[in-house]
Amino acid sequence: MSERVGIISVAQTKYHPNRADVSEEELSYEAIKQVLEETGISLSDIDSAVTCSQDFWDGRTISSMNIQHVVGAHLGHEDNISEDGINAVYAAMAQILSGRQDIVLVEAHTKESQTDKSMVENAAFDAISMRQLGLDFTSAAALQAKRYMYKYGITAEQCAMVAVRNRANAKNNPLAQEPMDITVDDVLGSKILVSPIRLLDTKPISDGACAMIMTTESRAKKLTKNPVWILGASNCYETHYLGDRDLADCDALTKAAKKAYSMAGITNPLRQIDVAEISTEYSYQEPLWFEGLGFCDRGKGGKLVESRVIKMGGNLPVNPSGGVLPGNPNGVAGMARVVEAVLQLRGEAGDRQIKGAKVALAHGYTGICGQHQAVMILGNI
Amino acid sequence: MAKESAKKKTKGPEYIRIKYNAHRPYDWSTGKYLGKVYAEAKENKKLVGNRCPQCKDIWLPPTPVCPKCKIDMGWDWVELPQTGTLYQYTYLVYPLWDPHYGEKWANPYPSAVILLDNGVFYRHWLEETDKEKLKTGMRLQAVWKEDYDERGQGVQDILYFRTIEE
Repeated sequence: MSERVGIISVAQTKYHPNRADVSEEELSYEAIKQVLEETGISLSDIDSAVTCSQDFWDGRTISSMNIQHVVGAHLGHEDNISEDGINAVYAAMAQILSGRQDIVLVEAHTKESQTDKSMVENAAFDAISMRQLGLDFTSAAALQAKRYMYKYGITAEQCAMVAVRNRANAKNNPLAQEPMDITVDDVLGSKILVSPIRLLDTKPISDGACAMIMTTESRAKKLTKNPVWILGASNCYETHYLGDRDLADCDALTKAAKKAYSMAGITNPLRQIDVAEISTEYSYQEPLWFEGLGFCDRGKGGKLVESRVIKMGGNLPVNPSGGVLPGNPNGVAGMARVVEAVLQLRGEAGDRQIKGAKVALAHGYTGICGQHQAVMILGNI
Repeated sequence: MAKESAKKKTKGPEYIRIKYNAHRPYDWSTGKYLGKVYAEAKENKKLVGNRCPQCKDIWLPPTPVCPKCKIDMGWDWVELPQTGTLYQYTYLVYPLWDPHYGEKWANPYPSAVILLDNGVFYRHWLEETDKEKLKTGMRLQAVWKEDYDERGQGVQDILYFRTIEE
């Protein structure tokens, strides 16, 4: 990139199974208030707001309408993304690089508790060719998990290790919804939702919001002592119809990662990246995404899950925050990975801090079996 | 061959429609701001709005941030008068979708913006549905559901605005 974009403040709400006490607007404002207070920036200083919310989750079309006041969008510029908040971060970056917007507020919220998860996810499938076939994200993910495990010999134990490690890491994250001390046997003994996915292989229903302020390199340096820079970012989409791809591989993620790495000058991710935050709603996804991210060869994700490399204290700790499995809402999960990466690079990650982290990876995805993939490389130098 | 394709053409493709009539469940929270408005309606038959500490504008529905000043509204509530004038209206004749029942509102009815006596705009039903009797500037007063147990329905705790003579 010719010019860099800086993230100068990040915030998240605590993730919670049911925030019936607040409206979506109030939930979002909990996070937004924190970034305004930290930077001393007021909503009238915001040139543009990029929000992320999904109409089916919010139960209304143009789901950004109910948060327009708290993002300062009255008679101002606002764009809404309906994928994951990590794509809102990308859109904000593009706006700043265009030279037309200076200070951009990014926001993502979802209250999964206010409707039926299967109903919303079923609506993601094509209405007249797939929706009637009993599909939601979990049942589709199970097809992918089966195919991946069959093709490469990934075991249920390896997947269970992901569920255990992420929930254990979450104990160091005060905003995590369900930090847990569990064992591989606990995961393998939890009830089957749709084989091979068991209850502890997936995340609970979650409500939450994230906010972020981004700006140009020169403004960022004036506004904060510890800006974080986006060094590389890329998205990649692949086919919607599940029969059109080999679900054991994630070509979209491979492509997104390659492009983000080339922008950031990453040739050896395991050596050059200090910490990674990866969106894993289902345990099998972590080894699969490792392969897509080039952390290992295809089919070797299971081995990497077993190794010390990705654990706290390893070469490339993955999800010190606990990631998505302990509970993050759809649409917020990927942006929360960016927020966590920023906290790591600012040395503000508390008990989950990776000492001296200089380069971080954040990953998010949207849709059926990781159809739309996003990778972001961030740095603090 | 030519005959065959001509035959196909006249028959045309067969279109199949996939219909959904499913109920989609949502359980929305008012949160504390709109919750305050609805609680005042249910408990006290009062209309309230929240006031910006800077421009002093009153907002109903309430908001945590003043849209104009873009600052935190704090927690300053003002009781609103329940009388006002018909500021603007139109008359709907086509059957509009009723989101509560999934059916259509059969009757023609006026759609109105009411200017409450303190200058706050409010959107509600009118009791008077005869369009010959509607006039911009006519005086109006809120009519509440009198039974406490029937209130607690938010904006519908007010039945409509009634024409008054002054």
